[in-house]
Amino acid sequence: MSDSSSSKQSAFDRRAFMAGAAGSVLVPITARAAAEEARAPAAQDPALPVDVTLRVNGKDKRLHVDARTTVLDALRDHLKLTGSKKGCDHGQCGACTVLIDDRRVVSCLTLALAAEGQEITTIEGLATDDRLHPMQQAFIDNDAFQCGYCTPGQIMSAIACVKEGHAKSEADIREYMSGNICRCAAYPNIVAAVKQAAPEIMKG
Amino acid sequence: MTAAAPEPKTNMGQPVPRYDAVVKVTGRATYASDMPLVDPAYAFLVTSAIAKGRIDSFDLDDARRVRGVIDVVTHENAPKLKDSKLFSNGGYAGTTIQPLKTAEIAHDGQIIAVVVAETYEAAREAANRVKVSYTASAPTATFDSPGTTVAAATGQNAQFKEDPKVGDFAKAFDEAEVKLTASYETPTQHHNPMELFSTSCAWMGDELVIYEPSQFVYGLKYGVAEQLGIDADKVRVVNPYVGGGFGSRGSMTPRTAIIAGIAKRLNRPVKLVPTRDQGFTIATYRAETRHEIKLGARRDGKLVALRHEGAEVSSRPDAYCVGGTKTTTRLYACPNVDSLVSIVRADRNTPGFMRSPPEVPYLFALESAMDELAVKLNMDPVELRRINDTTNEPISGKPYTSRSLMACFDEAAKAFGWAQRSPQPKSMSDGDWLIGYGCAATCYPTQMGPAAARVRLQRDGRTRVEIAGHEIGTGAYTVIAQTAAERLGVPLEKVAVFIGDSDLPPAPVAGGSNSTASTCSVVTMVCDQIRQRLFKAVMPSQSLTDKAKETVGIGQTPATQAAKGDRPLDLEKAFDALGVGVVEEYGEWKPEGAPLDSFRAMHSGQVRLVGGHAMKDQIAYAFGAEFVEVRVNRFTHEIRCPRLVGAFAAGRIMNPRTARSQLMGGLIWGMSSALLEATEIDERNARYVNDNLADYLVPVNADVADVEVILLSEQDDHINPVGVKGVGELANVGTNAAICNAIHHATGQRIRKLPVRLENIEV
Repeated sequence: MSDSSSSKQSAFDRRAFMAGAAGSVLVPITARAAAEEARAPAAQDPALPVDVTLRVNGKDKRLHVDARTTVLDALRDHLKLTGSKKGCDHGQCGACTVLIDDRRVVSCLTLALAAEGQEITTIEGLATDDRLHPMQQAFIDNDAFQCGYCTPGQIMSAIACVKEGHAKSEADIREYMSGNICRCAAYPNIVAAVKQAAPEIMKG
Repeated sequence: MTAAAPEPKTNMGQPVPRYDAVVKVTGRATYASDMPLVDPAYAFLVTSAIAKGRIDSFDLDDARRVRGVIDVVTHENAPKLKDSKLFSNGGYAGTTIQPLKTAEIAHDGQIIAVVVAETYEAAREAANRVKVSYTASAPTATFDSPGTTVAAATGQNAQFKEDPKVGDFAKAFDEAEVKLTASYETPTQHHNPMELFSTSCAWMGDELVIYEPSQFVYGLKYGVAEQLGIDADKVRVVNPYVGGGFGSRGSMTPRTAIIAGIAKRLNRPVKLVPTRDQGFTIATYRAETRHEIKLGARRDGKLVALRHEGAEVSSRPDAYCVGGTKTTTRLYACPNVDSLVSIVRADRNTPGFMRSPPEVPYLFALESAMDELAVKLNMDPVELRRINDTTNEPISGKPYTSRSLMACFDEAAKAFGWAQRSPQPKSMSDGDWLIGYGCAATCYPTQMGPAAARVRLQRDGRTRVEIAGHEIGTGAYTVIAQTAAERLGVPLEKVAVFIGDSDLPPAPVAGGSNSTASTCSVVTMVCDQIRQRLFKAVMPSQSLTDKAKETVGIGQTPATQAAKGDRPLDLEKAFDALGVGVVEEYGEWKPEGAPLDSFRAMHSGQVRLVGGHAMKDQIAYAFGAEFVEVRVNRFTHEIRCPRLVGAFAAGRIMNPRTARSQLMGGLIWGMSSALLEATEIDERNARYVNDNLADYLVPVNADVADVEVILLSEQDDHINPVGVKGVGELANVGTNAAICNAIHHATGQRIRKLPVRLENIEV
């Protein structure tokens, strides 16, 4: 039997995707790109690096990266902010969760270009003057992690969960924290941590 | 104190917060792929789309044209690597299938090419543009597939030496008053640790540094050196934090030497972060198993005959097996026992350790069968265990070093409210929900391995402990720091611990729940060497009782010692008397009964674990009992598990906080193995179908409600100097049976194949 096929990776063509998407979800990006002459080549060949400025933890960071770079890879590989983790790269595990304009977002499914002009908060941006954020302290107090790999995403998600008003009961916390997988299964401790930190976070 | 930090009972340490807590909640813990590299090239794997056959040709033109591509490495131009033997045959590898060596394909998802590029995005695009022509033949997927070969495990797996048996099973079963014969199945499962199977390799001259999540840095160091044909002294593996292991990172995978070889050729660091789906085929997994249990008993419940036959799937070249009969034939008193383990070969990647490798599938069978027998006998399943409890294992009569099985059952039953259970199936309900209570025993062998450590003490009490242990989430940093602080009598915050680096003194694989027992035993021993030096320097040895030498703090006077008149050691004086700035000691420890070559093996990345049933005059296991409540909706058949209660006795508990967390996670893993986890196999193509975290179901927060962990006080002086049995793999054993037993109680339906999904319920 002879069989000729491509490798196991899908034949999904990212050039075609970028071109096809120009008329739909990526309109704001291309619109922004078109506004600046320097970005014109990017619209023609997505493999050419583009200039992106990301606002991360209150500071502007200028980058010159492949247009397909995700916020996650921009943080990890280009800004050396490795607190946000890659667990699936498909938005299935939540390890990469950051806050973008105070909303929790899976940074692996967000292009860096699409996050320009928005306020990105990562795990590195929570503690101030060596004082831990109440959610960080609550995670320690309640031993809400083991290996720690999902923890940055859990904490970012937990802060948003509280601010969304989804931390009013244990059942609510369980439901609204279910986008973040913890393979060590520290779940009951995570619920306890969110409960502990919620009042302080709501106080502001 | 929060629920996370239980009050220590007798023979338990303090529930101090994790040593690595702050770095882990601030994102500063550096996992392998977080390590900074200077100008790395990015690698992306291409994996096989067929499970059996050969590669006829590649068309790499499109891939090479992608801007930024540096090289596409296939078997035609890959760095030449030496083979490594399977770990169980004296090697380091978790598989002997070596990709990029020939055109042959041994399993689906085998690495067939590596694209290296200036950016991750370019490497990924080029990998997607690699075109492959194969000649494929029909693969064998699993049990019952055409083309499997079946043979007894004994004789093919060096670590499975014999099928335990005693007495005359056939006769006893034949004559038994009550008999049970039942078959069980467990599915393929993948560890899916959160951290991907990444590898970064950087050469400095002829020296290689590997950043990779590993549960055995020494094994990886020696294994990669062997494959590259270089001196192991030139290889260093660094991973101070590992994003979960669960067994998947215990033995070497082929990717590491491949990436190291490519980095050498490019003279540039290479970083590989494989995808989640690639992790299903480039590492190991828990193979599917089948079981037949035969139990014969007297009317009063006493077992007279037990037979356990198990079959496990492995790859074509490697006879991997877990052989859990070594445990199930020894758990209960029974004079006539027989067993057999077989290995079924298919066109699959080689399976490997996954959390409690033998016990999860094999105790599912035995503990389900015990429940079935209890139903036949019209007996409370807890009482059936009590009647068959034993102080000596039945195969060779060796005594258990300690065994708190029934104490665990009684504590857990009380906490759970087992007395409120009405024994008849389908007799408890709440509205649309049928309620079932079930229970099962758990046990896990106590294992230890040779280990070395270096401890340095400064005159201000600052202490540095070095040992190539592993922090995979277990709390290794924490319990090592606690051990040194207690032993030297210095404040915990003055202890710095360095682990996860093969330049440190060797420790065993972080597997088989041996780490705490092994590392804390050697750290205790080396701290005592320091104490001896200090005490000798400042006082004649006879002025101090032996007991005081062991217990007096350095630089402080514990109240109890002061009352007895023992003097504390003045650290400043001792250092002055010694005339040194620091005191540093190195030591090597091996457990009793360790083979003669233990230390040599330890220094060459080989594992020599002892314990469990393999001890000379005794047998050492940790025990527990688990109780679960399930609710089955009588209309939708939805299954929920609102309560899990486990009581565990595992010798000394170094830290009730980290121990509770591990056991809690274990209980949830156990629930998951009953209700959620299974890797689905496309039998036509011998391919894993649900190879991602959306389709491979792992528990999320909403799947888990009340989980109660009860730590029993237990002291065992026969196992190792610290009296630790290990808790990493105890709690996820037996839970699967407890849940099926509860489903039977709720619905009257006995389910013998995992996982149980709503479509399996026929109320």
